[in-house]
Amino acid sequence: MAAHLEFLLRQLPYLLFGYPGQRPGGLVLSILLAVLGVGLGLFVAIGLGSASQSRFRSVRWLTRLYIEIFRGLPLILLLLINYQVVGGGRFGIELSPWWAALISLTLFSSAYQAEIVRSGLQAVPRQLEDSARVIGSTPWQVYSQVKLRYAFRVMMPAFAGQAISLFKDTSVVVVIGVSDLMTVARSALGSDLTNSSYWVSLYIFVGVLYFVVAFGIAQIAERWERRLPSKDLVHSLANY
Amino acid sequence: MLISWISPEAIRLLGQGLAFTLALTVITSLSSMGVGIAFGVLRLAENAVLRHLAGIYITVNRNIPALVQIIFWAYAFPNLFPVELRQQLFFNNALVDWIGGSTGLLVPYYTVAASFALTLNTSAYLAEIFRAGVGTIAQEQVDAARTLGATKRNVLFQLLVPEGLRASFPAISTRLIHNMKNTALAALVSTPELFHNTLTSITRSFRAVDFLLLAAIIYLALAFSMSALLRWCERLLYGSLEPGGDGAEVQSDLQGVPVR
Repeated sequence: MAAHLEFLLRQLPYLLFGYPGQRPGGLVLSILLAVLGVGLGLFVAIGLGSASQSRFRSVRWLTRLYIEIFRGLPLILLLLINYQVVGGGRFGIELSPWWAALISLTLFSSAYQAEIVRSGLQAVPRQLEDSARVIGSTPWQVYSQVKLRYAFRVMMPAFAGQAISLFKDTSVVVVIGVSDLMTVARSALGSDLTNSSYWVSLYIFVGVLYFVVAFGIAQIAERWERRLPSKDLVHSLANY
Repeated sequence: MLISWISPEAIRLLGQGLAFTLALTVITSLSSMGVGIAFGVLRLAENAVLRHLAGIYITVNRNIPALVQIIFWAYAFPNLFPVELRQQLFFNNALVDWIGGSTGLLVPYYTVAASFALTLNTSAYLAEIFRAGVGTIAQEQVDAARTLGATKRNVLFQLLVPEGLRASFPAISTRLIHNMKNTALAALVSTPELFHNTLTSITRSFRAVDFLLLAAIIYLALAFSMSALLRWCERLLYGSLEPGGDGAEVQSDLQGVPVR
């Protein structure tokens, strides 16, 4: 038991922050990848979500295609495609594992987030839109100041869920060797095989680390959501 | 020829991979549905201990990445046991030999462990989705059933479970497709499924681009057909779900009770 604790303690800084020279790594990098993936994914998703409401059938169809493709592929395959096919130097692009990981996570997440944006926009009450038009707002103002704002409030819980989900999915980047938590865990064992039972304590510990962050974000998001003014209020304001 | 890179060996590998992916998907989908609904029902139990235990199961398995669970159960867990016992329990017994003999797996335990881990992960999500579905059932409907003399067991099995499933079916479908994509993670514990065998084909032919794109097409086709199949199941089980379809009519026929 003491040996296990000592092993974990020795690996702890690497698991949390990565190896010296490869920082940020470990858990911090996993969180960073998830935050950047969801953040960039949000921009793409707002564009896609808006395009999915377009008047033009071809635009709607293209967004549908994008969403279906990036939701239908396993992330692990998407990572390899971006790393080896797109960024393999064949098309004059060389992607480091880090960039390949970030691009893949963004593409993957944006497809899910686009669906959230779409349903958020659909949840905007018609009256709210009409009232804004009546008081003389331009279509763009209606869209950016009224529709998106209202939709964001509806979308918040789903986005929190997507962020947590993406954070857990970052574990898959181990396949292209970004120095995230999962990769550091694997190399920690590679350097110390004196006691194979370290496998158990190490992966339980890694599981705990993922759990603490994922569960923690969920709790914070829930509390935050409760503090936001109720969307029923906005709804009733829109109705009267 | 354009597709001359697809050698007979590659066809064999990808065929085997596809078969394993399909088998893993079917097995883990069915087991996750069963386990998931069971834990979803336990989550509604009157017994507080059972309810909390089910809650812990759901929370733990939902918040740990599927990949960590797969590697833990496949590679780490056997190390808990001393060497000889480990061999007997996981790698060298009649059951494992039988699985290996009938599937051609070199180390059947890894694949069994991956299926187990995927079941833990997906069932936890399904339990939560199912519980949310049960939450949409109107209290009045339960009260009505109780007033008509239905026992608690009847209410559970003839109202809560079927109606909860009906309400949560679209979300369950999404999660099952997610689970199909997650079977690709079993490749990392040497299960010869589609992703794993794609990598094998690449190392043998050095044609990364062709094989990765081919795998992408196959996975997309799988996701589409699974989605179509589940939608077909939904229609078959519950009829048209359009507003004004069967579902809405049945409810409005009951009487003027407002259904939330």
